[in-house]
Amino acid sequence: MGDFSGLQIALSSLYAQRKALQVTGQNIANVNTDGYSRQRVEMAANAGPMTPAVESRYTGPGMGVTTGDTTRLRDQFLELRGYQEHATDAGLTQTQSVLSRIELAFDEPSDDGLSKVISNFMAGFDDVANNPDDLAARAQLVEQGKTLAAGFSQLDSALATQRSSTIDELNSLVGEVNGSASQIAELNQSISSAINGGFSPNELMDQRDQLISKLAEQVGATVRPGDDGQVDVFVGGTALVRGTQASPLRVDVGTDPAQTVRAVWTADGYPAGVAGSAGAMLSATNDVIPRYRDGLAAAAQQLADEVNAVHRTGYALDGSTNRDFFVAAPGGGIQVDPAIAADPSLVAASASAGATRDGSVAQQIAELTGGGDAYHRLVVNLGVEAQANNRRVDVQASIVQHVDAARESAAGVNLDEEMTSMLEYQHAYDAASRFLTAVDQTLDTLINQTGLVGRS
Amino acid sequence: MSSAFRITQRSLSTSTLAGLQANLARLQDTQARLSSGRAIQRPSDSPTGTMSALRLRADLDRYAQLDRNADDGKARLGTADTALTDGLSILREARDAVLQGANSSLSATDREALAAQVDGLRTSLLAVANTKYLQQPIFAGTAGATSAYDASGAYQGNAGAVTRSIAPGVKVAVNATGEEAFGPAGNDIFTVLANISNDLRTNPSNLTTTDLGQLDAGYLRMQNTLASVGSRYHQIEIMQGRNQANQLESQNQLSEVEGVDLPATTVNLQLQEVAYQAALGATAKVIQPSLVDFLR
Repeated sequence: MGDFSGLQIALSSLYAQRKALQVTGQNIANVNTDGYSRQRVEMAANAGPMTPAVESRYTGPGMGVTTGDTTRLRDQFLELRGYQEHATDAGLTQTQSVLSRIELAFDEPSDDGLSKVISNFMAGFDDVANNPDDLAARAQLVEQGKTLAAGFSQLDSALATQRSSTIDELNSLVGEVNGSASQIAELNQSISSAINGGFSPNELMDQRDQLISKLAEQVGATVRPGDDGQVDVFVGGTALVRGTQASPLRVDVGTDPAQTVRAVWTADGYPAGVAGSAGAMLSATNDVIPRYRDGLAAAAQQLADEVNAVHRTGYALDGSTNRDFFVAAPGGGIQVDPAIAADPSLVAASASAGATRDGSVAQQIAELTGGGDAYHRLVVNLGVEAQANNRRVDVQASIVQHVDAARESAAGVNLDEEMTSMLEYQHAYDAASRFLTAVDQTLDTLINQTGLVGRS
Repeated sequence: MSSAFRITQRSLSTSTLAGLQANLARLQDTQARLSSGRAIQRPSDSPTGTMSALRLRADLDRYAQLDRNADDGKARLGTADTALTDGLSILREARDAVLQGANSSLSATDREALAAQVDGLRTSLLAVANTKYLQQPIFAGTAGATSAYDASGAYQGNAGAVTRSIAPGVKVAVNATGEEAFGPAGNDIFTVLANISNDLRTNPSNLTTTDLGQLDAGYLRMQNTLASVGSRYHQIEIMQGRNQANQLESQNQLSEVEGVDLPATTVNLQLQEVAYQAALGATAKVIQPSLVDFLR
């Protein structure tokens, strides 16, 4: 054991405590940084030389302290669980906003919704039945028929617009995903260089984790650690990022407006199994919105069919019969037969030719409820679906909250804790300085006060 | 580091914020209900309630229409009632003339005067038979004729029933056809009156043997028609009353399903406000201190 080894021990302690103090400072500085994981300096006691030499052996207490890596305190399993739950949450929330916009478009139950228009239209037939040869009542009925057809087509085009805006959203989201993927590839490169060069990659890793967590929400990405601190990111089992290589995605809209929209790999055009927000957007464009458009079209068709079926049996004022009230509109959907729209006397209210004051056919039509009921069922189905989804969102939100709390519990910065460590390290630094002084004084005693016998 | 669940300043603020957000969302929801007066803002608020609301609204619209139908039917039947009552009094005058004319002591001149009176009564009855409601002859069935009888007394209408839907699935005829009220063509009351006028002038002996019996039969027919019109009027009135009761009931149900329970919601709002303020107060107290405040 050398005389100066005490100085070395004190020095190693001073270094170590100062580094720990700096890391504490870093933790405090990032107490409010998103995605920051608290760090800790790993200290280890430095043992003395282990190999005995000839004529020499070490009997000292050890050679102070060494500082190892500065590690991120982060629970990898919790992080993976967090990615999953956030992806589910993002998907449900996306679906929630889609359904809520559909609900807004339907605007039921209210006095302005389509159900009121249907009621008014049906009542119009009774008004015609009350005064079958009154052209004013007929003209009013025709207007109500036009309003009805327009109501159905407006609602349909509102849903169509919502679908196309969802596709736009999906496009920009996929752009963002590709950006994040190439950023992760670059970060992988930097991190492996940093590790090979002996630098601390902690902050880069935090950045990368944040990007991954965003990707998890956007496309339901999963992650697997690779070599040299790199990670591979997967979407639906295929690598979005492998090492330093990113494979971009794109949205395949197809040519036909009604065609299924897919997210595909740019490289080979195979569909990607996206989840998260993108998955919910795809299901909105391919399933949810088309389903309500189909339901709406079916309700309109049912209403038109049942009105037509009775209307064909009736006779117009001029004695003509077998005429449909609604016909197919050129762009899809229904419209009032243009001939009737031009001449309301063609509304077939009477049960026999020449009985112009008979309104029994119009009465029959006024009592039809099938189309209205189909529409009501559609609205209620929408309500049930939206309500079920809302409940799942609530449940998922509380799951996410718990997982996040657990993640935060492992990785978050607690100021009380940091203050305590600060005190610990500060005191340790003070003590190490005091130890240095003590060694200094013993050496002083040895060098300057010893061996003075006989000096004058 | 202990293995206990660490609470950090950030998780504290996140969870506090989430709690405040939830409080505020509930507050907004209650506010929206109170300010709109509707408990169901959108279908997902209550799908079953939405179903009831949609159905009740449709019912209400239907009842309103049925009420209008009933009003129209009552107006038509009322017009027919007045017309038939007038017709009956005309026939009573005609009967008096027949009885007077049957008196063998009357001179030809007197009979001529009676015949002229009967002619006049026939014209009046034709006018009654051509009574119109909204420009439509009420005794012409469903035909598009401008009058039920022409000047010669020939029926222009048909035997069609004009019906009105007055309750779900219930249709009531709101007219009496000319043949029902005034007799079948060839044997109608106008022919009888024409015969009477003719017999007064030429063949007074027929007055008691055939004419009086035919006149009485015509009178009875018209009276029966009047009774039928009256009973149908009554029927519509009863159904209309029931409709209005149903309408009121549906309205009540709708406000129960859709409407906001004001006292309960107001109390809820108060409670939520208190809870929100308490949460804010607690947040202000909890978020501030850390060890920083207590170390020199």
